Amino acid sequence: MTTQAHNRDSGTNSTVWHEAYPELGTGPIPIEPCISAEYFELERERIYKQTWLNVGRIEQLYRPGDYFVKDLPVCDTSVILTRGRDGALHAFHNMCSHRGNKVVWDQKGSCQHFTCKFHGWSYGLNGGLRFVPDEERFCDLKKDRLGLTPIRVDAWEGFIFINLNPTPTETLTEHLGELGAGLEGYPFAQLKTCYAWHTELKANWKVLKDAFHEAYHVPFLHKRSLPDSFTSPDNPYAHAFAFKLYARNHRMSVFGNPGHQPSPVELLAHRFGASIVRRDWEMADLPPGVNPTRSPFWAFDANMIFPNFDVFVFDGTYLTHHFWPLAPDRTLWEVKTYFPDARNAAQRFSQEYSKVLLREALLEDASTLEATQSMLASGAKKEFVLQDQELLVRHGHRVIEDMVGFYRAKA
Amino acid sequence: MPETRLPEQFRDLEQWMAWSLETEGERSDHRQASAMEDITAFYEAMLARMDEVLPYLEQFNLEELPDDARHLFYLTLSLAEVAPAVEQFGQPSVVDGYDIKRFVATHR
Ligand code: FES
Ligand SMILES: [Fe+2]
Repeated sequence: MTTQAHNRDSGTNSTVWHEAYPELGTGPIPIEPCISAEYFELERERIYKQTWLNVGRIEQLYRPGDYFVKDLPVCDTSVILTRGRDGALHAFHNMCSHRGNKVVWDQKGSCQHFTCKFHGWSYGLNGGLRFVPDEERFCDLKKDRLGLTPIRVDAWEGFIFINLNPTPTETLTEHLGELGAGLEGYPFAQLKTCYAWHTELKANWKVLKDAFHEAYHVPFLHKRSLPDSFTSPDNPYAHAFAFKLYARNHRMSVFGNPGHQPSPVELLAHRFGASIVRRDWEMADLPPGVNPTRSPFWAFDANMIFPNFDVFVFDGTYLTHHFWPLAPDRTLWEVKTYFPDARNAAQRFSQEYSKVLLREALLEDASTLEATQSMLASGAKKEFVLQDQELLVRHGHRVIEDMVGFYRAKA
Repeated sequence: MPETRLPEQFRDLEQWMAWSLETEGERSDHRQASAMEDITAFYEAMLARMDEVLPYLEQFNLEELPDDARHLFYLTLSLAEVAPAVEQFGQPSVVDGYDIKRFVATHR
């Protein structure tokens, strides 16, 4: 087998990762799933409405009564997340039981109950219908059956997940599987300061996600922003040194160049904190699923949680991606980068440097995708051609098709 | 008119007060609207003083920054903002980058 055992302590090993996963094959994969409206509808019905989806962090629901709203056009709904008086998490469709109005209109806040602005029906934090104005004018009003429609909700390591399927086929723990178990103990709860960006791109969600699931592009697309952080003379093509595929999730351990030459401002920033390019990491106390091969060449792990949630963990900072499908050729992309709360202004400066550098690299990442999508739509070519280091792209498309069954139905 | 000043020992940096901006959006807009030679001049002036600036700022809790130190702090955030323009791109914007106006920050 080629997986962990073959990993040498070098970023330049000659492992052929596909040999470890022969069921995936090595041929080209179809472009059609990235442009087809039919495929997109199947993804919505068979994946997004059936699967655990990360919608936030527990820090957003700090106290009983805190709430936030997550609009999920991909699932044709808007969701209220809240913490009840008893401390329990709740999720509801954001829809009034009377005549269907949206109940909560702001994006977040804190309250004792939710009141619909149409006719004033009011709901408790646990979703129960509490008050109906002019109630005696209704006939046979079964108030105890007219609460907000609940949605399955669960949390893992402070990440809040929902599942639109009232009878999920798996628990959140099962969904996260070994990948999740290996990350438990990473200090997510200590990295509370969050900087976030979002943008709406004219590209299929898989085109976006695939752009972050390989490092092949790094020496080209990031030659300016990250000239030597993830490449070296020995590893000019940024070969990741370890891959691990699970049922639907997967991970890639990304090479960091020990000879990276920090820029002047980067050097200043690193005196006061971690960043996405800092190389003098400590690696103490990292859980077994982080840098699992304990390579000295480790920069970070790109962990992908099916279907659209990425958690990239570094030593002392982590970042997340969410790729929310809006249309076959439109995606809402959210990026969040996390740090410890800055104790003083110098630490805050350090974080500013890291987040700005990340932002610049992301602007490079995003720069090709709309052009790519427009060419995919041309139909001039029917297939993507993948190399060994693009294993996660291949696996990602395979696990989506396994749930969607588009080609299975045509076979 | 209230005059914004920097702490006594950093008065030489007061010529750069236009870079004392509170949010990433403001700092980024200012960078994108500035000529590269102005960006580079600001970068060099700040870099030359950072060995003194950072220990000075390290004394302060973020919530308890006096006004003059706050402006100095904002200048360091602008240094972080312009660093890639000088160190990586040689121009105000990311070379061939996605439109930064479309990349919306929800933080400060
Ligand atoms: S629709 Fe909400 S009270 Fe009527
Ligand atoms: Fe990238």
